[in-house]
Amino acid sequence: MKRIPAFLAVLVLLIPLLAACGGQTTSTGSTQATLAPAAAPSGEKVKIRLATWTGVDESKELQAVVDQINTTATTFEIVLEAQPADYYTKIQTNLAGGTAADLLWLSQEYITGYAQKGVLLDITDRLATDSQPAAKLADYYPSVLQTAQYNGKTYGLPWIAQPVVLYYNPKLFADAGVAPPDENWTWDTFKDAAAALTKDTDGDGKIDQYGTAFNGWPPIQMFIWQAGGEVISEDRMTSPIDSPEALAGANFYSDIIYNPKYAATEDVIKEQGFSELAKNGKVAMFYGGAGDDLDYAHTKDPKFAELKMALVPKGPKNRSNFAWTASTVINAATKNPEQAYAALVALTEGIQHWKIVAPRKSLATAEMIAASVPQKQSSAAMILLALPDSRSFRIVPKQSDWDKAFFDEFQDPLFHKKGTATDLSKLAMPNLVAALAP
Amino acid sequence: MLQWYLSTLLDYMLAAAGIALVMFLVYTLLPRLGVKRETATGIALIMPWLLGFAIWTAYPIIASLYYSFTDYNVFQAPRWVGLDNYVRILTQDPSFWPSIKLTLLYGAISLPLGLAGALGVAMLLARNVRGTGIWRTLYYLPAVLPGVAVVLLWQWLLGTNGLFNVTLSPIYNLLGIGRPSWFTDERFVLPGLVIMSLWGVFGSNAVIMLAGLKNIPIHLYEAVDMDGGGSWTKFRHVTLPIVSPTLFYTLILGIIAAVKTFEPGLFIKLNPRTSGTFLQVLIYSNAFAGGNSKMGYASAMSWIMLVIILVLTLLTFRSSAAFVFYEGERS
Amino acid sequence: MAAIPREQPHIRLTSTKSQHQLSQIGTYILLTLGAAIILIPLYWMIATSLKADTKLFVLPPQIIPDPVVWSNYIDVWAIQPFTGYFLNTIFVTLLAMGGEILSCALVAYGFARFRFPGRDAIFILLLSTMMLPGIITMIPSFLIWRSLGRIDTFSPLTVGALFAWGPSYIFLLRQFFMTIPREIEEAAIIDGANVIDIFWKVMLPLVKPALLAIAVLSFNGNWNNFMGPLIYLNTPAKYPVILGLYTLAGSLSQEAPKWNYMMAMTVIMSIPILLLYFRAQKYFIEGLTVGGVKG
Repeated sequence: MKRIPAFLAVLVLLIPLLAACGGQTTSTGSTQATLAPAAAPSGEKVKIRLATWTGVDESKELQAVVDQINTTATTFEIVLEAQPADYYTKIQTNLAGGTAADLLWLSQEYITGYAQKGVLLDITDRLATDSQPAAKLADYYPSVLQTAQYNGKTYGLPWIAQPVVLYYNPKLFADAGVAPPDENWTWDTFKDAAAALTKDTDGDGKIDQYGTAFNGWPPIQMFIWQAGGEVISEDRMTSPIDSPEALAGANFYSDIIYNPKYAATEDVIKEQGFSELAKNGKVAMFYGGAGDDLDYAHTKDPKFAELKMALVPKGPKNRSNFAWTASTVINAATKNPEQAYAALVALTEGIQHWKIVAPRKSLATAEMIAASVPQKQSSAAMILLALPDSRSFRIVPKQSDWDKAFFDEFQDPLFHKKGTATDLSKLAMPNLVAALAP
Repeated sequence: MLQWYLSTLLDYMLAAAGIALVMFLVYTLLPRLGVKRETATGIALIMPWLLGFAIWTAYPIIASLYYSFTDYNVFQAPRWVGLDNYVRILTQDPSFWPSIKLTLLYGAISLPLGLAGALGVAMLLARNVRGTGIWRTLYYLPAVLPGVAVVLLWQWLLGTNGLFNVTLSPIYNLLGIGRPSWFTDERFVLPGLVIMSLWGVFGSNAVIMLAGLKNIPIHLYEAVDMDGGGSWTKFRHVTLPIVSPTLFYTLILGIIAAVKTFEPGLFIKLNPRTSGTFLQVLIYSNAFAGGNSKMGYASAMSWIMLVIILVLTLLTFRSSAAFVFYEGERS
Repeated sequence: MAAIPREQPHIRLTSTKSQHQLSQIGTYILLTLGAAIILIPLYWMIATSLKADTKLFVLPPQIIPDPVVWSNYIDVWAIQPFTGYFLNTIFVTLLAMGGEILSCALVAYGFARFRFPGRDAIFILLLSTMMLPGIITMIPSFLIWRSLGRIDTFSPLTVGALFAWGPSYIFLLRQFFMTIPREIEEAAIIDGANVIDIFWKVMLPLVKPALLAIAVLSFNGNWNNFMGPLIYLNTPAKYPVILGLYTLAGSLSQEAPKWNYMMAMTVIMSIPILLLYFRAQKYFIEGLTVGGVKG
């Protein structure tokens, strides 16, 4: 019994610490672990954490960009936190738990959802009074910029707009006696060429060269757009994938994908890799991102085939191509919003000089492309031609639900010939519409 | 790094102090209220569990029930939707039924096979063979390995050109089939998982069975011998009835464990819609997925899972009358 | 038991003996077969861990690695900060084990030796919690820790241990406590010992085998705990080894999976528990069988 009171005394002394450790929580749950550093007093550089998904090599390049920014910045210092594994799950838990970074990279699909939930900082007003080049919203391509906006407010700055182009293998074309792609190509010319270029080259009875290869990339949306259809209407209220135009695009795509008449089958792609097929000269035409190394891989390693770049073929209504974009956003729970904003603008400018293509009209020049990636000099003109037709997706707050329904119930069964586009579009419609509902 | 350890140590000591304080208060204050010393001490001693149950079990279960009727994305307040989540799970979620099928089939197939195998192994070990200890050590080995190790090992073994397929290719050729890609082809996911579980589970269940077998009085076997009975008679009328409580216990725990499978579902990338994935994994993805976490929806799914486990347990108890034999009852 | 016609004992004796020998041989054959089924994958795990990258996918597969790349074991350590991972794992395991064993022992003692109203009902409640799927309490628990500001710390993985979160351990210990004769406690009380003294100096030492069994199981459970770290830890530097392995598996699947590294790390990760097993086999088995047989 005598030991217990002493024990108690220790307890009583420790209890005030419990109160101190609990910490404050806001609606977005921002708290700090007891021993973490507090915000630095003014005059010192504030640490601004940046979360990205970059792998080892890309992180090194990004770090170089960040280092340069840090040397000239006076109020902040950007610290890179790369999380290549399970990035979005980590971000989600971090945001929920109040431990997320100040700046976050988000691919286009994620921004609207988080903005709607109040998780991201609204930077519209700050941008309006900012005269720096990267903050000039008018300079950005509208369809790209709107992925970082919600309800008329801006929540981040896109740092890339990568259009889709057609890479082709001139040698395979020459060998087959088929004229290489040009700006007059349509869907039909493409299909005919693909058929002509899919063959058995070594006479062993098995097809080993393919006209093209699809596997869900390029996005089927691109072809729906080219046929004049939409997957999400402009008012974000409907998903007209059952319109005749949309179905036309879907059918064109499903006719080609995995079809040994035109393209590599799923097994071949699994075995040999997807873009590797093009690089290894097994595929004659390949839809790729403008920034991909497909057209200069052969300069690094002669075993790779030499590929050239062309515009994607025209669809029945237009030549839309998909521009993938991502933005840097600011965590609404950041402790240093001013410095985070300053870092955001500086970072965006820096990345826009590193990645191609910067989503800004003033930076969409051949010089800029060549300066960012010298190996793309010869293709720069083609990339610029592709840009005006580039479009980004329309994003809704429940985008991941919509994507899931679109992929699981429409796209995947369609590619595996489990139903017609018409039937599947009806099957998927309820869940698609549910994802559009507010 | 050290600061992370320190801050957790602090939490830990505070929690320990808090629990100790509660125990002490119960121990000293309850008797003052007229409660018997023994009762007060007993309650004081079980306080850690009572507190834990209240905070980490009872409250979460009730909260989970509440959330299951809401739409809750963590960042905004939960929004009441009534039975909407349940309806959507049962009718509109293309991942749900395939996953139920996979989880339940996995339990239904791997359990009985595993038990039969374990009983067989235990019976072999029970005979007085030389070096029982060594055999036992060996057979238990797979169950000792970390679950993750077993999953990774079998993922490697069951690759399309992995050791398993390569060794069996003569058989495949004979049957005229190609090598099954066990974990990527939706038709072969379940068999692949069953194979993996059989290897891993042999040991622990066998050891339990062995202990059960050792309980069988020799004189019962001798009686069968004297009656002129053979091995099958011994098995059916002596071994099986006496081992049945152990079988039963292992069956229930095994079913529950199988339905609760988690790690394999994450290390092996299962497609929830085609092959289905394990229920707990599906719930986890819904609750913590990036971009649109749906904690309300996930809670509803966990409740459905809980009901399933309850039903299974009840069914096993009910049917136990049919095959469990407790010594002292008539067979 | 069905009645079976008796045969001449004389004739039966001899046929029994050769039957017996035959069945002995049969037993050994089966046991050896089983042993092969167990050992071959284990051998393959080790063999793979020692293979060079280029030899992983050759057909027919190399039975014996050539060349034997011992450096895999060193290289894998560098791909991810596994030293840190191991330190984290050790930290969490030790804290959780300590808390679990102590609190479960206290609670078991309470159930075993003290009468209080509702004791048996509460005990059944405790047992029934064994069937809860972890995920159902995980979501609200996550939210609790979130409001405490403890996401991405080690606290959710260790503090809970103090609340006796192991129903099967409590069950096991209670069984053991109940077998201790009351006279021993009564003698201690007469000597003037209080509850704590009795518990610490008398009861615990008497159930040492059970404690060791639980220690082994607890070590295993915490060393390999996956769901907890997966949900609560977000900073890679805080990962335990199991999450490190998960990240490794995930990152490697982008390119051709480096199975040799993965097998090497799997072997490393399994060593502690295997060592424990070979040293303390008895306790492993003890932990399982008491529950199984008496259930």
